[in-house]
Amino acid sequence: AMAGAARRLLRRGLGVAAGPPSTRQLREAEEAAPVFQYAGKAAKRKDRVFVWGFSYSGALGVPSFVKPDEGWKKPRRIQPTPYRLETEEKISSAACGYGFTLLASNTRDITKVWGMGLNKDSQLGFQRSRRDQTKGYEYVLEPSPIPLPLEKPQQTRVLQVSCGRAHSLVLTDSEGVFTMGNNSYGQCGRKVVEDEIYSGSHLIHQLKEFDSRVVQVVCGQDHSLFRTKKGTVYACGWGADGQTGLGHYNITSVPTKLHGDIAGVNIIQVSSYGDCCLAVSDEGDVFGWGNSEYLQLASVTETTQVNVPRHLPFKIGKVKEAACGGTGNIVLTEEGNVFVWGYGILGKGPNLIETAVPEMIPPSLFGWSDFSPDTRVAHVRCGLSQFAALTNRGELFVWGKNLRGCLGTGRMEDQYFPWRVTVPGEVVDVACGVDHMVSMVRSFT
Amino acid sequence: LNAAPGRAPRQQVRFLPASAPGGGGAVGLVAARLPVLADHPLVRGPRFKKLKIGAGHRLDVKASGVFVLGIGHGNKLLTDRYNCHLTRVYTVGGLFGKATDDFSDTGNLVEKTTFDHITREKLERILAVIQGTNQKALLMYSNIDMKTQEAYELAVKGLIRPMGKSPPIITAVRCLQFALPEFQLEIHCLHETQQYLRKMVHEIGLELKSSAVCTQVRRIRDGVFTVDDALPRTQWNLQSIQEAIQSCQLKVETELEKTLG
Repeated sequence: AMAGAARRLLRRGLGVAAGPPSTRQLREAEEAAPVFQYAGKAAKRKDRVFVWGFSYSGALGVPSFVKPDEGWKKPRRIQPTPYRLETEEKISSAACGYGFTLLASNTRDITKVWGMGLNKDSQLGFQRSRRDQTKGYEYVLEPSPIPLPLEKPQQTRVLQVSCGRAHSLVLTDSEGVFTMGNNSYGQCGRKVVEDEIYSGSHLIHQLKEFDSRVVQVVCGQDHSLFRTKKGTVYACGWGADGQTGLGHYNITSVPTKLHGDIAGVNIIQVSSYGDCCLAVSDEGDVFGWGNSEYLQLASVTETTQVNVPRHLPFKIGKVKEAACGGTGNIVLTEEGNVFVWGYGILGKGPNLIETAVPEMIPPSLFGWSDFSPDTRVAHVRCGLSQFAALTNRGELFVWGKNLRGCLGTGRMEDQYFPWRVTVPGEVVDVACGVDHMVSMVRSFT
Repeated sequence: LNAAPGRAPRQQVRFLPASAPGGGGAVGLVAARLPVLADHPLVRGPRFKKLKIGAGHRLDVKASGVFVLGIGHGNKLLTDRYNCHLTRVYTVGGLFGKATDDFSDTGNLVEKTTFDHITREKLERILAVIQGTNQKALLMYSNIDMKTQEAYELAVKGLIRPMGKSPPIITAVRCLQFALPEFQLEIHCLHETQQYLRKMVHEIGLELKSSAVCTQVRRIRDGVFTVDDALPRTQWNLQSIQEAIQSCQLKVETELEKTLG
């Protein structure tokens, strides 16, 4: 009787016979499946910060690299590949100094600048220690806000930051330039105080006396350069190599205007990181001054120190951007070609160690090919002995001495020609330091 | 092949007895040319019983396109072509919105997603990154010391490629067509399998925060052999095969010489 009832159910169609699903059943199951949405039509690309290089000084801003969470873990001295750094705000400008980093956001909130790394000369301002309220931290392990003495903290925006060996500069849009850190050579733009103790100092100096608004600040090793809207350049700090360009080899403690070959020329970009400086004019000419021991300025003079800006007569086309490193220089022309000169690993293989005349790096090394002829270099940056180039496709190429893994390639060997750094996003800007780098990246989708 | 006229049978000279003209009895010998019986096709059988055919790089059941075969002595050339490590070009068709377990549109459905946020620009950005990482892999697996001047010179010319075993590497990708939800890519690759290409389509879908399946994989070039040289099913006869072999002979020789030296 049970079997008969089952058979009657089957015949009525209430029980479905098992078997492989037919095409129609598969199609119906597919159409009935739920649709997931991971990104809406108005999904915005996110801005991220990636850091890599020597981490034991805290310059990468990840505390677990220096003091691991678990007792059995070993501290990570070097981060050889890009590592994402979580930041509260969108970072618009970053700068790497000698063992420390500054991050700045152009927000109107009260906290605009964060610093991490070495703070033995208060280059990150005063970071109050939690253990002893009177002393400051000597090593800052995670991005900590730097309190700037702004008059209108909820209106002023920070445009750019720059870091040198032991001092830093912060450029705002309406309140001039703020300097902090070591001032033993007057690089902070204030009078040198004998036997001043820089560690745990609260002093942040403000500079306002320029002929027009300052639009770019650049830190060399122990000197500072300021470029104003009118196209003039001011300098202060150590001058023993002529890097202040003021015609003498003494230190300058007040920002002073530069003359020489750039007098009357509208300068659109200045660059420096070691003891040599380069400036680019709006007409595409390059001017240089400072240390020339490594043939950086040997095209115009045999002397190893140049203390007045000199025009460098290179026939390479109109120059758009220049970057200065410790021993080598790099320029980018309007056509998108990259030229290097100086001493060290310049990017044309191990045979090219030094040259006084700019040599071009073939564009095929930056991803140019018959398949993608529109790929060109958009920006060039320099660390102390490394170079970085950003293409218009958002790719980052690095080369030079791989000091403590600062190239970010994942290997510890020096790189003699441009090599891609794998970053999960489109690289918008990069800041190079002595042994670490910071990049600002936008996600793909 | 067996129907084609074969070689003429060998001839031999035999002395046959023949009756002398005008009268019986006396038997003279006449020289005559006769075919050797051992060469007769009914004795020897068909000339070609087996034919050695070797295949070039594998082609999936679900894929289509150029498939290189070597016949007889051509099999030796196949190993030489394998050692050349030349790139192959595929057109890969994809469909956004679905994810299946075997990455093709005939598999079991795993997930369905929205795809209206995808634009051609986003897709091309992802393709640029894929090319970049594969370019790095190309340099790394080529086993050349990066610190030498010759490595720099080869990198400038773009001639660095792995000359030994390596995982699949994509040398170039390009988006040919983009019409949501479908898209078509042209992929140049080395040491690949078709399933790897389908997996890549799936991963592109994941990167774009959606999902994708591969609808079509078609090989359009394998070394020097392009779709124009290939014989479609209607031309699988002796005449066309012979013509094709003749026309490609020179090309294959120059290609092997150029790469292997």
